[in-house]
Amino acid sequence: MMNASTSRWKILAVMSSLALGVAACGGDPEASSDEPIRIGTSLPLTGEFSQPGKAAQEGYQVWQEMVNEDGGLLGRDVELVVKDDASNQNTIVSDYNALISQDEVDLLLGTFSSLLNLPASAVAERNQMLFVEPAGGSPEMFSRDFKHLFFSQQATADKQGKVFAEWVAGLPEDERPKTAAYPTIDDPFAAPSVKGIQEILEGAGVETVYEETYAIDTKNFDTIVNGMKAKSPELVVHGAVFEDGVGVVRAMRKANFRPDWLYQTTAPSLGKQYADAIGAENTEGIMFAISHAPQAATPGNEEFVAKYEEMFGGLPPEDAADAFAAGEVLQAAVEGVGSIDDQTALADWLRDNSVQTILGELQWNDDGSPIGDFLVGQWQGGGVEFILPEELATADEIVDGWRPGEGQ
Amino acid sequence: MTQLAQNLLLGLLLGGVYALAAGGLTLIFGVMRVINIAQGAFLIFAAFITYSVWQVLGIDPLLAIVITTPVIFSIGWVTYKGIVAPIRTAPIASTVLLTFGLALVLEAVMGMVWGNNSTAIRPGYGNESFTFAGLYLPKAQVYGGLVAILVLVTLGLMLTKTWLGRAIRAAAANPAGAELVGIKVAAVAALVFALGIAAAGAGGAIVGVLYPFVPGAHYQWIARLLAIVVLGGMGSLNGAILGALMFGVAETLTAAYIAPSWATAVPYAIVFLVLLIRPQGLLGSRLREDAVAA
Repeated sequence: MMNASTSRWKILAVMSSLALGVAACGGDPEASSDEPIRIGTSLPLTGEFSQPGKAAQEGYQVWQEMVNEDGGLLGRDVELVVKDDASNQNTIVSDYNALISQDEVDLLLGTFSSLLNLPASAVAERNQMLFVEPAGGSPEMFSRDFKHLFFSQQATADKQGKVFAEWVAGLPEDERPKTAAYPTIDDPFAAPSVKGIQEILEGAGVETVYEETYAIDTKNFDTIVNGMKAKSPELVVHGAVFEDGVGVVRAMRKANFRPDWLYQTTAPSLGKQYADAIGAENTEGIMFAISHAPQAATPGNEEFVAKYEEMFGGLPPEDAADAFAAGEVLQAAVEGVGSIDDQTALADWLRDNSVQTILGELQWNDDGSPIGDFLVGQWQGGGVEFILPEELATADEIVDGWRPGEGQ
Repeated sequence: MTQLAQNLLLGLLLGGVYALAAGGLTLIFGVMRVINIAQGAFLIFAAFITYSVWQVLGIDPLLAIVITTPVIFSIGWVTYKGIVAPIRTAPIASTVLLTFGLALVLEAVMGMVWGNNSTAIRPGYGNESFTFAGLYLPKAQVYGGLVAILVLVTLGLMLTKTWLGRAIRAAAANPAGAELVGIKVAAVAALVFALGIAAAGAGGAIVGVLYPFVPGAHYQWIARLLAIVVLGGMGSLNGAILGALMFGVAETLTAAYIAPSWATAVPYAIVFLVLLIRPQGLLGSRLREDAVAA
């Protein structure tokens, strides 16, 4: 039989433990400094956007690894909680809700593509959580008066092709294309990007001879290419994601249609995957806007590229670099404020400061849209070179137009 | 005029590929009354197997069909025996759910084995075309179309000219009667399921040559294939072929003469209109219970 005094001591001990536990739960989270900071994201690891989604996951993983090796965030390890939204707009809403309410993550990071970031950022905004997105530059993203949304690339989609378009517009008249075609996927990033280029080029007198938008699930591009071929444009500006970018180039080759110049959004930036899909020999001269150059002398870029190669092999794709930069922006805000308690304070900090990233210095308008310019890349000799702006160029010259069959 | 001819040709070639992919789906429904939602996943699965055969053995991806089709046939037979057979006579909703689950499992398996990266099969002729009279015919589409015709004609001859085909048609028309005359309907069903999957296997090889693919691409394919099978008349192989050709031509002409943004929507509108006039589809049979319901 239990002694009454022993029993009282046991009850006291249990009560004390409970009190301590409750105090620990209710107190300042940073007080429990051994606990990792949990950062939630949902990425399109399967489905239509799995290509960039996987690259973004790798970028986040490299950032996590480097932060933890460097002592963590506010002295705490970083732990990523990653869900797979299967490239689905409905799934991503439930994923971010689950990250916040069930997984109870401390911070969020964005997903890939405007299509998915549109609903995901709305969940974050409703919960007043900072939402730094590595992709999702559609102007539509920043027209909703959100206070916690930040895009961690250099410019929004409508300005993505600005440097390229201004370069074309500035070519001597006898070298400047006179006609252009603008096919684009119905995507909130690609379509405004193409529109932005079209406006600049039309202003420079380049006549639009073909302008069509196709559905996101289009598989067969023969008819679209046949329609373009009939108009004989000298320049094709194609708003692509990935598979459609590959499909259009392959359809062009089959139709023996070779415009003088070919510019595509996103797809050519996916490096080896793109070259394998269209054939390295067909890449020569293709131009595109890009946010990251592995060779760039931006802060921390060399370390990022080396770490990526160590973890995954090869050069990092653009989407991995963009995700890494999103992590850097989040890290800068947390370290700048010195706490993760008030996420509105983190957002205010980003509005008031610029951040040095592997993409260069990033700063934002009040609506979270970035203020800056993209680089312009070109496939040359089976690899990617950066040709514009000239001060950041990695190649001595620009290949004179698209030269399919001449690449390596 | 040349443009119209060009677009019609491209549409028919596209329809040929659709026909092969949809043929298996309608065959399985015709005999077993199973709507195989996993048909699109098997199509992409076959594309991945073709990719591996092409990469590892260096065999032309369309010739690789002689290897991939038996492999896919075997997988279909095992799938039937292990998963589908226990619920063959269950309500149709159960088979839809089961095969949808099967599609998700297959997608995950493809993701684990080949990764979720976009994959492309590019034989040497992938970028080449035959040209005549100002028209061009992409070689990959032409070869793919010829393979589709070969497989579908073989399948058609097998169904109409052999004892096995008669057994299959008997099992489809009247399972109880077929059992009475000695046909083992369960065995026929296993064979038909495997044949239907094998047809998707051949289609997958062609699809893999024509378009880049990821494991999740099966959703888009099954949506098209179901629409084609419904348009042609569920269970009718000839109907599926006719529906597929109409679907391919409608997609192509819509993209050329209305707008590419409508190219994936207009064919479904045609399906809707056809069903309003002929609820049983273009070549589907109207059953006695349909008439009673009407």
